[in-house]
Amino acid sequence: MTPAIAIRSVRKQFGAHLAVNDLTLDVPEGSIYGFIGPNGSGKTTTIRMVMNIILPDAGDIRVLGQPVTSSSRDDIGYLPEERGLYKKMQVRRLLRYYGQLKGRSIADLDPVIKHWLDRLRLTEWADKRIDQLSKGMAQKVQFISAIVAQPKLLILDEPFSGLDPVNAESLRDAVFELRRSGTTVVFSTHDMSTAEKMCDRIFMIFRGNKVLDGSLDEIQAQYGHDTVRVRTTGGAELLQGLAGVESVNDHGNVQDVRLAGDPQAFLRQLIEKTSVQQFEITKPSLHDVFVRIARPTADEMREPEVA
Amino acid sequence: MRRVFTIAQTEFLALVRTKFFIIGIVAMPVLMGGLFAFMGYAGKQVDHKDRTFAVVDRTGALFEPVEAAALANNAEVAATGASTGPKVFPTRIDPGAKTDEELTVELSDRVRKEEIFAFVLLPAELMDPDSKLPILYYSQNTSYERLSDWLRTTLRDAIQEVRFSRAGVDRTLVSKLSARADFSTFSLVEKRADGTVSAAREVDEIEQFGIPFFFLILMFMAVMTTAQHLINTIIEEKMSKISEVLLGSVTPFQLMAGKLLGIVSVSFLLSFVYLGGGVYALLQMGRPDLINPVLVGWFLLFLVCAALMFGSVFQALSSACSDLKDAQSMLQPAMMILIASYVVSVLVIRAPDSTMATVLSMIPMVAPFAMMIRLTMPPGPPMWEVLLGLSILAASTVVVVWAAGRIFRVGLLMQGKPPNLPELLRWVRR
Repeated sequence: MTPAIAIRSVRKQFGAHLAVNDLTLDVPEGSIYGFIGPNGSGKTTTIRMVMNIILPDAGDIRVLGQPVTSSSRDDIGYLPEERGLYKKMQVRRLLRYYGQLKGRSIADLDPVIKHWLDRLRLTEWADKRIDQLSKGMAQKVQFISAIVAQPKLLILDEPFSGLDPVNAESLRDAVFELRRSGTTVVFSTHDMSTAEKMCDRIFMIFRGNKVLDGSLDEIQAQYGHDTVRVRTTGGAELLQGLAGVESVNDHGNVQDVRLAGDPQAFLRQLIEKTSVQQFEITKPSLHDVFVRIARPTADEMREPEVA
Repeated sequence: MRRVFTIAQTEFLALVRTKFFIIGIVAMPVLMGGLFAFMGYAGKQVDHKDRTFAVVDRTGALFEPVEAAALANNAEVAATGASTGPKVFPTRIDPGAKTDEELTVELSDRVRKEEIFAFVLLPAELMDPDSKLPILYYSQNTSYERLSDWLRTTLRDAIQEVRFSRAGVDRTLVSKLSARADFSTFSLVEKRADGTVSAAREVDEIEQFGIPFFFLILMFMAVMTTAQHLINTIIEEKMSKISEVLLGSVTPFQLMAGKLLGIVSVSFLLSFVYLGGGVYALLQMGRPDLINPVLVGWFLLFLVCAALMFGSVFQALSSACSDLKDAQSMLQPAMMILIASYVVSVLVIRAPDSTMATVLSMIPMVAPFAMMIRLTMPPGPPMWEVLLGLSILAASTVVVVWAAGRIFRVGLLMQGKPPNLPELLRWVRR
């Protein structure tokens, strides 16, 4: 099966800043793919290159089996981070406009618009102006604007940020519905638990380089088996001094301990010092993996996101 | 291409729905008309209180004519209703042995007590043609000119009358003899093929100044109206990342072409409304002979170029900015060029066949204004000059639109500090 997105050795430089360095990535058709990474690490640049909004300096990008051209983009839906709507335009006119720009006729668009407005409970707002909508509603309209042309590939930048749980839930359901109908979905997010729960595969870019790419299991296997969750009488203070402890993440009653050495040796030490109520070798969460990769240079990441 | 039209249509509708445009196209003429009507009305309505004033007549010959004129005036006011002005009531003050100074002090007090509105001192020397002494008018309310105007004409006439009769000259004869001959301006006559000679047309102010100014102002308005809208929408699109959505669907070229098409249509709409108004006005004035479809054709040709050239520059510059304030200052130089082109073209009206006018009408930014004016003024520039000016303009428009497109493409995705001129030029070359 041809991948929905095939990125081959792509490189993009802005002045002295290397935004994306030798990136190769396959997004399989029909999957939900999560893009994660700190701000300014190259996510937006990668997405813009896939959208053919900017061109790579080197390398090759194929989308839906062919090089990106303006006509192939008609099958790609794109939702940039937040906003992206004309405040003064009415909901229905805006959705029609965005659909027409993808080459669809109003006759084709109207049933789709009706379906999604109903589905996301926005029908009574169809003739209202965007600036009369609440933030949550506007975000749903924005989501519809990205899928109104029934794309085969949908790219969403931070689609769930700032939504209340009910609206976030309905958008998640909508994403799953699209996947069932064969749409490939790529979304970027800073919310690791959403990425863990929703994505088939996860891609992380850090300072322009691919640092993670795989299913959650694969990633956890790569970074796992060195974290234990313990509950002891001694608590967090006791753990700090023990040999082999790299870091302690204190949750109050339980602590996650990252180890440099053998967990069994650590357990033996622990039993000698205190009474152990719980000891579990765990898989690291995506959050832990992310922080482990990005933390050492978090200070350097203060630069603004480069276009 | 269909997408370009979709964008153009959306831009067009968005623009004609803005308050700015509605005010510009409809409310402006109505407001102006209303203002003139009000001023005319107010001018007639101002205060028709009766005006009593004192006359100190040291000549001994002027009070009677003033009194007679006052009676005539009051009779006319009574006959036509109050709208023509106030009634005036002169009272004679006998100077006796008092000096001018004593009189002015005394009468000033009476004015302050509001017994009289004003007073006028007529020195005895007024009757002497060699004397340069003026009529002295005193009032608390010196900006009220109705009474002083009335007195000025009345007294001047009376003084002339007395001087003439004292010199033994018949005044009516003098005015007949010194009447100025009329002077009428005509355009040239032609001998037609059938041997008859076309009647020379009388050239009046409408033709001489009205038509050129009409086209000049309309051209300026049509280009200017769309500028603010362009800045606003492009900055909105950039700030709310709409431009990314758009660029995810269409190319920067299509986007810019759509927007340009949109604003050119708006310029045309505005022009048609005003051209229609102009034709109507000429018909109302009984001057259908001044309606010239050829001029309208030229106007639309020059308008297309001007709207495209200035519109694409406005677009490119706004696209390079991230907020409205940056955009305003970024566009200032371009606006200045537009306004300067408009202003120097006013000079062309005074000498449409001068070398300066010819040169101005060849400069691309100025040509839409300057050449348009020359076209409106008979005999008009030679055809080759018009075509040359238009070709220079059209060629520069193509170059400017192309360069603007290059800037637009880079600028739309740029965030942060707006670029300076060298950076802009680098974007063009890249």
